[in-house]
Amino acid sequence: MATPDQKSPNVLLQNLCCRILGRSEADVAQQFQFAVRVIGSNFAPTVERDEFLVAEKIKKELIRQRREADAALFSELHRKLHSQGVLKNKWSILYLLLNLSEDPRRQANKVSNYATLFAQALPRDAHSTPYYYARPQTLPLNYQDRGTQAVQSSGSLGSSGISSISMCALGGPAPPPQPLLPGQSHQTLGVGDCLRQQLGSRLAWTLTANQPSSQTPPSKGTPNAVSRSMTRSRREGETGGAVEITEAALVRDILYVFQGIDGKNIKMSNAENCYKVEGKANLSKSLRDTAVRLAELGWLHNKIRKYTDQRSLDRSFGLVGQSFCAALHQELKEYYRLLSVLHSQLQLEDDQGVNLGLESSLTLRRLLVWTYDPKIRLKTLAALVDHCQGRKGGELASAVHAYTRTGDPYMRSLVQHILSLVSHPVLSFLYRWIYDGELEDTYHEFFVASDPTVKTDRLWHDKYTLRKSMIPSFMTMDQSRKVLLIGKSINFLHQVCHDQTPTTKMIAVTKSAEPPQDAADLFTDLENAFQGKIDAAYFETSKYLLDVLNKKYSLLDHMQAMRRYLLLGQGDFIRHLMDLLKPELVRPATTLYQHNLTGILETAVRATNAQFDSPEILRRLDVRLLEVSPGDTGWDVFSLDYHVDGPIATVFTRECMSHYLRVFNFLWRAKRMEYILTDIRKGHMCNAKLLRNMPELSGVLHQCHILASEMVHFIHQMQYYITFEVLECSWDELWNRVQQAQDLDHIIAAHEAFLDTITSRCLLDSGSRVLLNQLRAVFDQIIELQNAQDAIYRAALEELQRRLQFEEKKKQHEIEGQWGVTAAEEEEENRRIREFQESIPKMCSQLQILTHFYQGIVQQFLVLLTTSSDESLRFLSFRLDFNEHYKAREPRLRVSLGTRGRRSAHM
Amino acid sequence: MASGRGSWASVLVAANLNAVRETMDVLFEISRILNTCLDMETLSICVRLYEQGINPKALSSGIKELRKVTEALKALKM
Repeated sequence: MATPDQKSPNVLLQNLCCRILGRSEADVAQQFQFAVRVIGSNFAPTVERDEFLVAEKIKKELIRQRREADAALFSELHRKLHSQGVLKNKWSILYLLLNLSEDPRRQANKVSNYATLFAQALPRDAHSTPYYYARPQTLPLNYQDRGTQAVQSSGSLGSSGISSISMCALGGPAPPPQPLLPGQSHQTLGVGDCLRQQLGSRLAWTLTANQPSSQTPPSKGTPNAVSRSMTRSRREGETGGAVEITEAALVRDILYVFQGIDGKNIKMSNAENCYKVEGKANLSKSLRDTAVRLAELGWLHNKIRKYTDQRSLDRSFGLVGQSFCAALHQELKEYYRLLSVLHSQLQLEDDQGVNLGLESSLTLRRLLVWTYDPKIRLKTLAALVDHCQGRKGGELASAVHAYTRTGDPYMRSLVQHILSLVSHPVLSFLYRWIYDGELEDTYHEFFVASDPTVKTDRLWHDKYTLRKSMIPSFMTMDQSRKVLLIGKSINFLHQVCHDQTPTTKMIAVTKSAEPPQDAADLFTDLENAFQGKIDAAYFETSKYLLDVLNKKYSLLDHMQAMRRYLLLGQGDFIRHLMDLLKPELVRPATTLYQHNLTGILETAVRATNAQFDSPEILRRLDVRLLEVSPGDTGWDVFSLDYHVDGPIATVFTRECMSHYLRVFNFLWRAKRMEYILTDIRKGHMCNAKLLRNMPELSGVLHQCHILASEMVHFIHQMQYYITFEVLECSWDELWNRVQQAQDLDHIIAAHEAFLDTITSRCLLDSGSRVLLNQLRAVFDQIIELQNAQDAIYRAALEELQRRLQFEEKKKQHEIEGQWGVTAAEEEEENRRIREFQESIPKMCSQLQILTHFYQGIVQQFLVLLTTSSDESLRFLSFRLDFNEHYKAREPRLRVSLGTRGRRSAHM
Repeated sequence: MASGRGSWASVLVAANLNAVRETMDVLFEISRILNTCLDMETLSICVRLYEQGINPKALSSGIKELRKVTEALKALKM
């Protein structure tokens, strides 16, 4: 409708030129042509761009210029514009405005560079410059397609012969020589001038440029292409011959390499595992070196990334490993942030084209400086990654901890930060374990291992062990043992003692609410805070456990009961029991019944002081019949037993009970010998009076007495030794230790030590088998004596009986008035007496053999005693041979005892 | 009738013109904010060119070039 709308584009364009140039129509012919060319050459279809994007860009720009009010105003205006539907292409006009906008802060660098631009672009003749036509991409006007200046320059033919400034020299302090307008320049300038100008320009360039540019080919008079975008050359644009890579291209490449992506020119060489610049590129050495140095960052990044990616796929990596990867991710994120800043810088320069000055452009040197710190960080991380390959759990934490021992404070703080993150799962495991006794460790990372196949009766001993490889290096062995103990105690209480007291009652402890702080505590205040926590937990838990064991389960009482019954501590009870059992046990073993014996046991209990024990203890006391071998009497198979269950069984395990039974056996046997000898003595007392009338027996009896006395002495000494030196001393030590024990492990250890001592001292261990055999032999002799003596007494008493009967009969006869004694009777009587008297020497000799035998065995025993390694046994030999009775007979005993009171075993 | 139509048309035209003028005002304001140093006439020419479908980038580059030329000439003349 309106006339302006109907104007053709050409006309409009001409008008535009007029307006901008401020000239009349006639003068703008050249420029108009130029403009037409410009516009015509770039007739690419419009890209559908977002209007809002452009609006946002404008706003950003305004804000960047610190003009927030204007930004708000613009938003307002844009809204208004949007609401009106007049314009179809709002985007285009906004784009135009954005591009034409100028930062009022920036000085306009309108140097004559533009003139050269102008000079170059404008041909003398409108259709002349061949290169211009041939390579439309050289137009620096196309923002998307900024041809590589170097490329252009290398290919450009420089028709105008005018030197131009290189791209970098925009805004340089020393303005390059004013190029002339095309028409004039071409004619007036000679080659010399041309060169001079070029030289001058290059000088200017070197003065202004603070970065090496790869684009000055030392060719003769090739003008570098004009530019607005100097360093903004694109990677493409290699048209023709040797590829010249600009620094800008390298910068772009480097930014990609930083992320581990191959750039156009810098690629990863797998053979050498490093980044290399493509060989055929024409690159100055310094640039190449710098680029390669920067590429190291990419290599480090790749390494770390590979590790985290691999680990994220690994399903059995565990919590510690995952936290390590998370820490690495965090660091990588920071790194990416830096990269994005660099990228945006690059982008900014891309978009704003010529307005940027030299100072803020990205160059390789700048990158070097900016990436110095990140490089150190990445190096540390890569070293960590290397060191931690293949580790998990506590091992991983130890590996990271090893790296905190460095002098470099920066590295140390970084590694400590990672360590605190990594150790967080370990610490949480730890706290769960020591406060709740729970272990949820699916990946086997914690240093306490639980064996699920173990049942509750072996819970204390077998269920929980230390996994030594997973103990972190910042925890000592002592601490980890304590930790194990604490958790074990809690579990023991819950499961075996059936004590469900929550831990908070047990331990008046406040759970720390900030695990990372704990981690810091752990590493900085290692001695006090963390240790204090573990110690407190340990102390309280163990105390509680011992309390429960003692009060609820009367552990110590049971221990004392064992002493009294199984170790024959309750003398009156044992004596009475033996009295009652004697007739039973003489019978062969196969005829014994357990219930009979149990009844006898109970009688004994009721009759003695044992009845005052608590019923709990008496309930557990029982008779046990051992395995019967043929020819055994009851004495050989009888044993007492004590039942244990529940928590007590943890201390009195099955092995312990078997030890107890062996010791009981030994002690019972010794006691029995004592008993036998007492009987013999009793026999002596009783029958001495009776047999005084048989003077022929006195010799035999005397021998008997002597032998019996010897044996009594021997047995007494043995009993003394056993009771006092072995049992009482060890028991005392055990009791002290148990009273002072801080935890159940101590009690168990003390108890086992006690049993070991008595076993070895009672000659029951494997080393003293010879001695034990000797002792058994002695005991056998005693039994022999008893048998022999019984036989003698029987015979003697029978004889006595007969004689008395004879006297009786004689008297009877005399009373009756007959002959007191007939000849035949007297004959018979005398014969019998003679027989009896003849049997006496047999008895004598029998006794003598017995004596001899016995003494031989005792001597052997003494010899063995003096060569034993146990001191108390050696002293026993002194006591046994106190009057050197045996020494006189045994030459071996006369050898000196040597410096240490001990004879060597080989004599 | 025709006049009625005509008056309607003129009203429409007037309305349209108003809208156009408003748009141009807005655009001028924006360009002022952005310091583009474009005057109204140039701006309107540009708008017209855009409406006719020119490549926006090309035109903006062209304008930039022309400006440079202006500067150069001014500098020469100085």
